[in-house]
Amino acid sequence: MRLAVVIHITGTMVRLFAPALIAPAAVAALYREWRDLIGFLVAFLATAALGAVMRRAGGPGAGDVEQIRRIDGMAIVAATWLLIAHLGAIPFVWAGMGFVDALFEAMSGFTTTGATVLRDFTALGRGMFFWRALTQWLGGLGVIALFVAVLPRLAIAGRELFFAEAAGPTDEKLTPQLRQTAIALWRLYIGLTVAEVLALMAAGLSLFDAVCHAFTTLAAGGFSPHPLSIAGYNNAAVDWIVTVFMLAAGANFAVQYRALRGSRAAIAGDEELRAYLGVVGVAVVAIVVVLYRDGMGAAEALRHGAFQVVSIITTTGYASVDFQLWSDQAKMVLFLLMFIGGCAGSAAGGPKVVRHVLMARLTLRELRRTLHPRAVLPVKLGGRVVPEHTLRDVQVFVLFYLLTFAVGAAIVVTLGTDLMSGITASIACLGNIGPGFNAVGPMANFADLHPISKVVLTLEMWIGRLEVMTILVFLRLEPWRSARWSAV
Amino acid sequence: MRIIIVGGGEIGFALSQTLSGEHEVFVVDHAADVAARFEALDVQFVHGSATSPEVLGQTGIRGADVLVACTGLDEVNIVACAIARQLGAPRAYCFVSREEFLELHDQQGLAQFGIDRVIWPEAELAADIERIIRAPGALDAESFAEGAIQLVEYRLDADATLSGRRVADLHLPHGSLIVAVRRGDSFFIPRGDSELSVGDRIVAMGTPEALREVMRLTTSVAEGARQRVTIIGGGDVGLRIAERLDGGDAADVTVIERDPDRGEMIAGRLRRSLVLNGDGTDLALLESEDIGRSDVLVSVIDNDERNLLASLLGRQLGVRRIITRVSKRANLRLFERVGIDVAISARAAAVASVLHQIQGGTTRLLALVEQGAGRILELDVPEGYAPRPLRELAPPLNSIVGAILRGREAIVPRGADRIEAGDRLIVFTTYEAADRVRNYFTSMKA
Repeated sequence: MRLAVVIHITGTMVRLFAPALIAPAAVAALYREWRDLIGFLVAFLATAALGAVMRRAGGPGAGDVEQIRRIDGMAIVAATWLLIAHLGAIPFVWAGMGFVDALFEAMSGFTTTGATVLRDFTALGRGMFFWRALTQWLGGLGVIALFVAVLPRLAIAGRELFFAEAAGPTDEKLTPQLRQTAIALWRLYIGLTVAEVLALMAAGLSLFDAVCHAFTTLAAGGFSPHPLSIAGYNNAAVDWIVTVFMLAAGANFAVQYRALRGSRAAIAGDEELRAYLGVVGVAVVAIVVVLYRDGMGAAEALRHGAFQVVSIITTTGYASVDFQLWSDQAKMVLFLLMFIGGCAGSAAGGPKVVRHVLMARLTLRELRRTLHPRAVLPVKLGGRVVPEHTLRDVQVFVLFYLLTFAVGAAIVVTLGTDLMSGITASIACLGNIGPGFNAVGPMANFADLHPISKVVLTLEMWIGRLEVMTILVFLRLEPWRSARWSAV
Repeated sequence: MRIIIVGGGEIGFALSQTLSGEHEVFVVDHAADVAARFEALDVQFVHGSATSPEVLGQTGIRGADVLVACTGLDEVNIVACAIARQLGAPRAYCFVSREEFLELHDQQGLAQFGIDRVIWPEAELAADIERIIRAPGALDAESFAEGAIQLVEYRLDADATLSGRRVADLHLPHGSLIVAVRRGDSFFIPRGDSELSVGDRIVAMGTPEALREVMRLTTSVAEGARQRVTIIGGGDVGLRIAERLDGGDAADVTVIERDPDRGEMIAGRLRRSLVLNGDGTDLALLESEDIGRSDVLVSVIDNDERNLLASLLGRQLGVRRIITRVSKRANLRLFERVGIDVAISARAAAVASVLHQIQGGTTRLLALVEQGAGRILELDVPEGYAPRPLRELAPPLNSIVGAILRGREAIVPRGADRIEAGDRLIVFTTYEAADRVRNYFTSMKA
């Protein structure tokens, strides 16, 4: 690890991020929320200044920034996300939130988790709600992906960063140039966002609500300016529109991009997408049956069942109804979905469908190997052989993911929640979902948790968003021991 | 016909041997020492490089009907074909030794050189073996007239209904004929009073439906069941066979390949087949994988000795049908003598496939049976031939009319069926009788 490079490039990232704070400042100005406006401007100045200082500090020793090593890339990505969450928390602190709560809220935003500590939604102005939505929208596709798209200089160095941040075990590019890929993905992302804004406005939402919801839907985030989430509108059309866009947010954007470019095979040939839609289909059927048996009308059961299944599997975390009140059978379906997540290369969090597919095939392979010890048994995905190192990465990922989940749940429960709340809080934060059950249910919030629990959950969001390994690698001494200021 | 063969190797020699009697054959090779081998044959040997227009000119290329390039070098073959076509040869056949050229040709990449057909012997062998595998219990299988007429060879099992009976008493299903019997080293066309015995290999011709009935009478193999196929050796041939059977309903395939990297590659290309990393001659592996329960064992390693060993191990373990690749011509007979059901060589498969395409005229060689001891000819019945029933014909000894093709109809004839002008006859004959048969039918004017 070369600290100068890490600090220099992280500084660059932070400085690039600063202008994002101008947008909510403008919204705050528009609604004459002067206190919040100042908060945003303070945050903007702090961010820009920190970025500049870090750039300057690392600059002389950074040398050739085009040559980023893997460990440097991981450090930059991890540090960038951590710093941005802290800087993004400044406006919340300015508005009167405690530091732990503010950091929780900001991290929940950038990692598109959508878990909130807000008890009183009237306490915040529109600028703040816009900021919450914007943090998710920027975090959805990844801040690094954004910088790669806008900054040509990062194109080469960005490679390690891009894939350290991207969701899922695959590292596919749409175009030979990384920057072109990032631009293509952002164009699709923006296009979908605009489409949802228009659809929601047509369904009767105000421009502000439509924009905030579109931002947090496509990011698979789940923040809502409405205290009752989507349920607050009690509008079937809105529910279905959001369901469809959540489904898109949880599907691989690269596949959608190719499909839009006219490649039908992109959709038909993608095994992960088929598995994703298959899981959604099965879960919807299961939950609709349960809800109908529990006495809900068929149309209602389908509407809320589909919404809630898609909301949880894509790790969005919206509620179209208070599913805390559902039967344990229906909740069990949702609970299982929390461990699946969306597709690789999407805005969704969680372990990702493709990893489950690969794990299933690995299991079947080992079963087959006990019958035929000498057999050559490659694991295939979409007709292609998956390299063994990728399979190993997937196994290790799942192991560490579950370990992190268990440790987090244990801490939260130990610090005084009931078992179900603790378990679901841990997976909801690690999987970037948002709400869990009981004390952290869809209509409740995380405010009453022990402060240490909040810190642990904040870390889980960070770890979950960067897919575990990027952060856990720093638990080893090696990167620290080999750390030096510059290459020479 | 004037036929030019480029390359005096094994393939060139085998082609010349079969074609020389009837056609004007030129053999071109740049090595002078191979000439001696061709002296025994009635062919014209031209010494020189076939990529030289001058040398090709000496063969009277302008008046030639077809050029077959079968040297060991793919590039030489392609160039020779291209030049021959430019000099006016109407057809050019090109042998290659790599799959890429076959694929290139399929994608029209070689068409611009004027090459009509690319022959990759490994592919021909794989196709032959696949056809045999797909006919349950068969030791050989050929198909004619777009599949309307088929030929299959079976061994009579101990419990076969047919063994111990005279041919006249067999009551074979309508549409099928027993055209030949091989007993030990003798190969003959049976007459009504010939008696069949256990262990005989019978060659039957007929329609697919009738032959299925024959199969029930000769072997105890269950029809339509999935076969367990073990392929030893995942080389070009083994992989190709596995790919063609992979994922279908006909077979569950196991491939045994020694090289781990090659094994990985094969396993990547196959969807359902099982690939084992190991040696096909490793008895412990064969036993632990229960290879003895296979219906077919195909040994296609690139080494005759190891093929033989693997096949004999398979036989010991109880595999019912064993198909083995043989590289050396001399080993073909030997292999069958020691208990291998089908010994087959890539070269022979390729030569056979070329032979029947080269020949034009009124008689064509369709296939070779039992290493060439039996031949299937297709003959045109000349215009002006007065129709007469088959039983009034006195065809030469050791030949039999297996089928009459009339328009789209395919008739497996009995004595009362008539032969008419314009018919095509599929005639089974032994090697020795082939010339007499040709002459008999071509001269049978009214």
